[in-house]
Amino acid sequence: MTAAHDEDDGGDATPFQQPGDGLMVVRIVLLVAGLAAGLYGAWLLWEFPVVIIVRIAVWAGVGLALHDFVFAPLCAALGFTGRKLIRGRWWTPVTVAGLCTVVLGLLAIPVFAKPGLRPDNLTVLNRDYPLGLWVSIAVVWACVPIYYVIVRRLPVRQYEAVEREGADDVQGQPPPV
Amino acid sequence: MKPSPLRGTAVTARVGLALGVAIAVCFLTGLISHFIQHPQPWFFWPTRPVWLYRLTQGLHVISGIAAIPLLVVKLWSVWPKLFERPILGGLVRQLERLSILVLVASMFFQLSTGLLNTAQWYYFQFFFTTAHYAMAWVAFGALVVHIGVKLPVIRRALGEPLDDAAAGGSVGPSRRSVLVGTGLAVALATVVTAGQTVPWLRKLSVLAPRSGEGPQGVPVNRSAIAAGVIRRAKSPDYRLTVTHGSTTRLFTIADLAAMPQVTHQLPIACVEGWSANAEWTGVVLADLLAAVGASPDSDVRMISLEPPGPYSRTVLPARHARDSQTLIALKLNGQILDLDHGYPCRLIAPSRPGVLQTKWLARIEVVPA
Repeated sequence: MTAAHDEDDGGDATPFQQPGDGLMVVRIVLLVAGLAAGLYGAWLLWEFPVVIIVRIAVWAGVGLALHDFVFAPLCAALGFTGRKLIRGRWWTPVTVAGLCTVVLGLLAIPVFAKPGLRPDNLTVLNRDYPLGLWVSIAVVWACVPIYYVIVRRLPVRQYEAVEREGADDVQGQPPPV
Repeated sequence: MKPSPLRGTAVTARVGLALGVAIAVCFLTGLISHFIQHPQPWFFWPTRPVWLYRLTQGLHVISGIAAIPLLVVKLWSVWPKLFERPILGGLVRQLERLSILVLVASMFFQLSTGLLNTAQWYYFQFFFTTAHYAMAWVAFGALVVHIGVKLPVIRRALGEPLDDAAAGGSVGPSRRSVLVGTGLAVALATVVTAGQTVPWLRKLSVLAPRSGEGPQGVPVNRSAIAAGVIRRAKSPDYRLTVTHGSTTRLFTIADLAAMPQVTHQLPIACVEGWSANAEWTGVVLADLLAAVGASPDSDVRMISLEPPGPYSRTVLPARHARDSQTLIALKLNGQILDLDHGYPCRLIAPSRPGVLQTKWLARIEVVPA
């Protein structure tokens, strides 16, 4: 996620001054305090030998690049394709199950093949992680049809229908007086 | 490819708020652990409740793991912004984008190295604790700057309804369901890992690096083999030396066992996020210190049989040294201390990181005031 994850629209940076915004003092305090904390961290990093600083920077940079240019596009492509194949009420539980699967996969990385295992200490990494991962993923996906059945049995609530209407849904306007 | 209508500040601000809370808890509990291990004159850490460090360090790892799904969803909600034009823009925009670059890179660094450390997988070739500590300041500083920059946007977004109408389509996910789904993912991440410190979750924590089992019912972080102490720990010539200035007393295991024995329920809580309650039996440290005429206001240095290394000697602050529950333990859960738990004797003090509960004690020195 490189330097573009701002939520303002358009090409300019978030406007720093907004008319009538009484939060200016709070914002300045946050910016100064944040800068001070960040610079302190940078100074602590600066104390490392250059080779270690490079390794730290590479670790952080590779994580960032993997997310922005591998993980996120893959998720977007999967979402785009999945949306074409899976319609209606199935899509919501499928996306939540997908998110849960991704999270389980990330948490399994350091334990799945037990890369940190040392033969002298069998109290660390002492579970069957492949079994745990597959069972937990199976439980997550088993919840998808259960959710679907429950939602199908529930009556469609009025506010749901209203909330899904776009701003251009203008039927049923009261007659002009 | 049309960006999902579910993305937007309504979701970003709410997930960001939860992520901010998780990071704040993680940062503060991490600082507590750091300052216990690197004491400063202004830092105060109490001995009661005895489970306080277990709580703070458990929260450190739990909040860090909870931040993983929150970060995934937060970044999903803003990912298209990465490709917005102009890529560079003016100076203020460049600075803002740079601060976000630093924020996201440091967050990845902290969450990935922290997660690997819980499983003792040191794939990265730098020293974990110092790098994790330095980068924590960078990540937290960048987060605070980000909140400062975005405060008007955050305030506006949180003040508005979730606006399901914008999600479009008659049937499908709403922004509310994105938030509920994120909450479920956080709950799942917690359940599958937190059992290493929350006993009733143990059976469900299928991805926790420790099952909670170990010799005498307690896990081990550093074995006697890894510490290279087996021969000296088992030697019939073993003596525990207690010194205060020119006064020195030597204690055999039999001498220690002949002193009044006290039993306490105390947790052992590791910096890596696992913890376990156990029943420890041994000599009250204050009694040993009294035998060499030490002042209750003195700090005490604990020296292990282990060859010199980062944790072979630690300093116990006076507040903990004089505490009636601080023991030189000879037994764990009713049995003679296992070699991996620090036989012949070890320190166990209330509300301290496990790494400072020195095992295989060779020498106790009263630190001159």
